[in-house]
Amino acid sequence: MSDCKKCGTIPGTILLRQKDLYCTNCFLANVNHKFRACIGKNRILSHKKQIENVLICLSGGPGSAVMSDLVCNAVTLNNHKKLGLTPIFFHIISSSDDMNVARSIITACNKKKHDIYLCHISEYLLAKKNKPIMNDIPIINKEADTKFRNLLNDMSSSTKNDYLIKIKRELFIWYAKELLCNIIFTAETSSTLAVNLISNLSLGRGSQVQHDIGFCDSRNDIKILRPLKEITFEELQHYININKLELLKEKAVHGNSLQSVIKLFVHDLQDNYQSTISTICKTAEKIGIQDDNNHTNKCSMCESCLSDTEYNLSALEATNYSRTVSIDQEKAKCLNNPIDQHSMFPHVKKYLCYTCSKNYLEIDPATLPVHFKHLT
Amino acid sequence: MPVLCRTGCGKKAVLKRPKTGDALCKECFYHAFEAEIHYTITKGRLFNNGDSVAIAASGGKDSTVLAHVMKTLNQRYKYGLNLMLLSIDEGITGYRDDSLETVKQNRDDYEMPLKILSYKDLYGWTMDEIVAQIGRKNNCTFCGVFRRQALDRGAAMLNVKCIATGHNADDIAETVLMNVLRGDIARLKRCTSISTGSEGTIPRVKPLKYTYEKEIVMYAHYKKLVYFSTECVFAPNAYRGHARALLKDMEKIRPSCIMDIIYSGETMAVKEDITLPTQRICIRCKFVSSQEVCKACVLLEGLNKGLPRLGIGKSSKAKKMLEEYNAKQGHTTIKETMQYLDNNYTNIGNIENCLSNDKLCKSRVCKVSKNNTQLINISGKCNNGHCSGQCKNNQFSKDKENKSNTKINILLEQYELSETSNNVTVGPSHANILNATDLDNLYPDQDEDSCSGTCGKMGSMQIGF
Ligand SMILES: [Zn+2]
Ligand SMILES: [Zn+2]
Ligand SMILES: [Zn+2]
Ligand SMILES: [Zn+2]
Ligand SMILES: [Zn+2]
Repeated sequence: MSDCKKCGTIPGTILLRQKDLYCTNCFLANVNHKFRACIGKNRILSHKKQIENVLICLSGGPGSAVMSDLVCNAVTLNNHKKLGLTPIFFHIISSSDDMNVARSIITACNKKKHDIYLCHISEYLLAKKNKPIMNDIPIINKEADTKFRNLLNDMSSSTKNDYLIKIKRELFIWYAKELLCNIIFTAETSSTLAVNLISNLSLGRGSQVQHDIGFCDSRNDIKILRPLKEITFEELQHYININKLELLKEKAVHGNSLQSVIKLFVHDLQDNYQSTISTICKTAEKIGIQDDNNHTNKCSMCESCLSDTEYNLSALEATNYSRTVSIDQEKAKCLNNPIDQHSMFPHVKKYLCYTCSKNYLEIDPATLPVHFKHLT
Repeated sequence: MPVLCRTGCGKKAVLKRPKTGDALCKECFYHAFEAEIHYTITKGRLFNNGDSVAIAASGGKDSTVLAHVMKTLNQRYKYGLNLMLLSIDEGITGYRDDSLETVKQNRDDYEMPLKILSYKDLYGWTMDEIVAQIGRKNNCTFCGVFRRQALDRGAAMLNVKCIATGHNADDIAETVLMNVLRGDIARLKRCTSISTGSEGTIPRVKPLKYTYEKEIVMYAHYKKLVYFSTECVFAPNAYRGHARALLKDMEKIRPSCIMDIIYSGETMAVKEDITLPTQRICIRCKFVSSQEVCKACVLLEGLNKGLPRLGIGKSSKAKKMLEEYNAKQGHTTIKETMQYLDNNYTNIGNIENCLSNDKLCKSRVCKVSKNNTQLINISGKCNNGHCSGQCKNNQFSKDKENKSNTKINILLEQYELSETSNNVTVGPSHANILNATDLDNLYPDQDEDSCSGTCGKMGSMQIGF
């Protein structure tokens, strides 16, 4: 067995990318370094003087297990390397069969002498949300829960996956405010982000890539950071094995959807070409956002800027025209105003972005929470 | 109960539009199909009254439909365009010589002048000769680079304002995915623009940018347009192969993803601190290039010097190789130089090896496409991966008709409305119409270095290599 690629003194036991061998110590140091560097490099935490409350969002999946471990270790250090933040652990209970996951997350957190707050995902629909509950499973609002299930059941799997991300984002921000956090940590790895990049593109969210895939989502004053961004799924698994972390659930994507197809594709390609995910992530790094300064309008559902750049012709206009010409060929003779009532994109550019507008078509507006009143 | 046409024209619907899902009668489908292209041309301001426009014609379905629709719209809406056909003869026996016959048919059918330029005349080499030099690996690079420049040269000779290419919505969506997979941000940004071209070059425009490939196939089928459908005999670019397989899988789940991907590309911004390569003029041939010496000139230099692999890969490496080659000349044997080149290029293949290797790719993406091929290619005998390519001569023409008909049948099964399926006979009576592989777009993106057009497909041929 050859020696560790890093220190060169101890035999390597951990094989990465099918070629690089590391010893356990060097491997763990490297994962920790990537985590710290990601936070440090981006200066969002380090330039603040006082200690920040950070909402640490745990799903129970492998990423959240590792993130929780890294954060706990970093804040309990007794030297100058101690991470200057107060972690506030938080978990959204996605559906009722999730209770066991929720219970295990509470146990795992308490074992490390940390508290954890919980809420049900159906709180999304409530005008007046309940306060998060500490170290226990909150009472469920049956009516909201049923409404929420119906909302999701009516959607295609691809839309459901996309919409769930937006729902969770909104809840994270709401509860962060409630728990006095200005910063949120979520646990996406480079592997997840590579899948999310292609998903974003395939759903029409190309202009939102920087917020959805980059290190920092700054669409709200409360920022969402992704400190595991440089860590791969492969490294995650080794980390979990070495530290014997408890895995509470696997990451799930719904049904036969764009996201499930993309996930399978990326993972298969990665198995054959070890540079796949890093190349995709490097592409994501170079994608930016249209200059934000002059637009004030934001999408009601995802808070992305509604660009006021007028495209004379884009896929949006072309899709609308396709619909018009397939329904009413007389009206289609006028190239300038496609018919409104058949618009494929309700509220687009005014209140919703392209993709959220498409999602909206699959939602019964009556079920939406009160702050979406303007959309009904 | 027959389904009525969605437009309310009163006729029975015969098909479900792949793009919108609306059931339309044949006339309303034609109208919608053509009106959308008119909308794209008008809103995208592709042409000006009085322009001379060269249609890049390959004899394939995209360029045939493009020529047909351009002629129709030019008359109907009085664009005042002077249309002509421009074809490139790469010199691929059994492939291009046949498709050129189709282009000549287009010339007569649509009454447009036709200009054919050959690689042999422009560069002194046919593709067949290039293949004899370098083998089957990497020849897409040659084919794509040379063709791109050949179109520019042809357009200059014809003195046209712009070149219209047959890129359809699927091609563009696929190119977006491909550029993500290979991390090419410059091309990612450019590939969705409807019109490309910089200072001093003849712009390329894509009137079929928002047109679905499936609808192009159906339009050609119902209109009984004659086109040539077969696949390039060379191995495709693997990135494109993977991107295509992914797009096909996604399209099955949500057909609108093609438009959504294009929208993503159109609205995407590149970070300010990323510098994109600028276009300049090649110091040798005076055509557009992103380098001091353009890729066509580098490849040509390599061929003429007996270093055919020069230029496959990064241009900085090519320059270095050329310098070292020149330095070494005289005191090194050509064999050593070749050895040196081999060593330098073993790693470049990377993802490309997947499809162009002798071995079959193990990844699922590829297996999927191969399964599809076998399904489509049911009549073919050489889909076992051991065929070395020699069989192409005796299988080729037999396969292509069977395959075409199988493909259009699959499409019709999905989108033709059952009530009327008896009225449309597809089969032996159509055997003279070489139509309907849904996968042959013959001209690569301007920014596309590989022969993505002719060979970037999941055809039977790639298995043989
Ligand atoms: Zn070590
Ligand atoms: Zn939105
Ligand atoms: Zn009709
Ligand atoms: Zn080729
Ligand atoms: Zn040149």
